[in-house]
Amino acid sequence: MKHLSEDDLIELYYSKEEPVRASRHLAGCAQCTRAYAELESDLASVKAIEPPLLDAAYGDRLWQSLAPFLPVYEERKRTLPRFSRWIYAAASVLMIAGAFLAGRVWEHHRPRISTAASPAAIPQPPLLPQLQPQQQPQPQQRERVVVVLLGDHLDRLERLLVELKHADADSAEMVSPLRDEARSLLTANRICRQQVKQQDDPALAEALDRLETLLAELSNSQGGLNAAAITRLQNEMNSNSLLFEVRILRSRIPDQQTAENSRSKGGTI
Amino acid sequence: MYCMGKNDHAAISAILAGDKEAYGALVMRHSQSLFRVAFRITGNEADAEDVVQEAFLRGYRKLESFESRSNFGTWIYRIAVRCALDRIASQRVNDSSRVAGADDPVQDEVQVADGAAGPDRLLLSGEIAALQEKAMSCLTPTERIAFVLRHMEDCSTEEIGAALGITPNAARQTVFRAVQKLRGRLAPLRATR
Repeated sequence: MKHLSEDDLIELYYSKEEPVRASRHLAGCAQCTRAYAELESDLASVKAIEPPLLDAAYGDRLWQSLAPFLPVYEERKRTLPRFSRWIYAAASVLMIAGAFLAGRVWEHHRPRISTAASPAAIPQPPLLPQLQPQQQPQPQQRERVVVVLLGDHLDRLERLLVELKHADADSAEMVSPLRDEARSLLTANRICRQQVKQQDDPALAEALDRLETLLAELSNSQGGLNAAAITRLQNEMNSNSLLFEVRILRSRIPDQQTAENSRSKGGTI
Repeated sequence: MYCMGKNDHAAISAILAGDKEAYGALVMRHSQSLFRVAFRITGNEADAEDVVQEAFLRGYRKLESFESRSNFGTWIYRIAVRCALDRIASQRVNDSSRVAGADDPVQDEVQVADGAAGPDRLLLSGEIAALQEKAMSCLTPTERIAFVLRHMEDCSTEEIGAALGITPNAARQTVFRAVQKLRGRLAPLRATR
C-alpha cells in the first residue's frame, strides 16, 4: 500500500474540497491517519497572528499622512477606456477599407483614355458632337462615326445634286435654298474629305474633291447664282456624272441605321 | 478576497479626473484589511503601518494602470503583500549583515523552555507564541508570506501565486516547504503536548 506523502496530507489539510483519494486512503490506513492527526495538531498550534485593534481614526490618520505626497492627476492624463480604443481602431479600419473600395469602384466605372485616341490625334470636325476629353471615342467607335457621317453627307449631296439637276434656272425661289444648302454642305464636305484621306480611299477622296469644287461654285458663284450659272453647273455635273458617282459611293457605305436595326431585332445578314 | 463596491470604481474615476481627495475614501475603506495582513507578515505594528502606507502610495502612483474590470481591494492587497515582501527581505539582509551566523543552526534552534516550566506555564507566559514566531523567522520571506496567506488569510494557491508573482503550483510547493520547516522547528513543542 502506498501511503500518503506529507505534501498530500498538507494538501488535504488546506483543501476546501477533500481529495477523494486521500480521504479514502485515510479511512483504511491507521499510519496515515496518525500522521494526519499529528499534522493537524502541529498546524492548529500555529495560531493566526492577531493584529492589535486599531481605532476608527486610523484610516483618517493614514490618509492625512499620505495626502501631502500625492500629486493630482490631470484630466488629460486619462487614457481612453479599452473598449473606446477598440471602437476607434475599428472605425479607422472601416474608413480605410471604404476609401479603398470607393477608389476601386470609381476606377472601374471611369472610361479609359486610349493613347491612340488622344485628343491631338483626332481632329474634331464641327459637325461631330463636341466630346469631352474623357469621352473621346475608341478607334473602332471613331471609324463607325465617320462612316455614319459620310453616309449622311453623301445622302445630302445626292439630294442637292438631284435638286440641281431639276432646278429651274429662272426660278429665284429654288435658287436661294439651293445655295444655302450648298454652303452648308461645303464645310461638311471639307471635313469628310480630310477624314477620307486618312482612310486611304483615293476614289472617294477624288470624288469629294470634285464635289467640293461644285459646291464652292454653287455657294460663291460670281455675279450670283443666276440662270446661266445654274445651267453651267448642271452641265458640269452631268458631264462628270457626279450624281451617278455619289450614288455609287453611297452604296459602298453600309447603311448603319439598317444594320443597327437588324442587330437590335436579332436578325442576321 | 474582497468585494469591490461600485464606490471604488467611482472613486478611481474621480481621482483620475483630478479629484485627489477621493483617494481618501479608498484609504479609509481598505486600510484595516491591509494592516491586518501586513501585521501578520511583518510581525510588528510599526512595520505593518509602514507597509500599509507604502502600499497606498504605490497604488496611487500606479492607479492609471488599474484595470476597471479588476477589484481594487484585491489589487491593493497584492501591492501590500509585495511591499511586505520587500520589507522583510530587506530586513533579512540587514539582519544578516549585522548578526553573523543568521543561518547558524544553533542560533535558529528553537529554544524550548526547560521541562521544569511545564506546558501550562508555557501557555501562560506566551512562550508558545514566541516559539511560533521564532519558527516563522526561519522561513524565507516568500515562504513566510505564502504560509501566512494560506494558513491565516485563507487564500487559495492561485491568489498566493498572483500576490507573489509566481504560478499557483509554485505557490503550493512554497506552502509545502514552509509547513515542513515549521513542523521541524515546532517538533520540541510536540513533545510537551
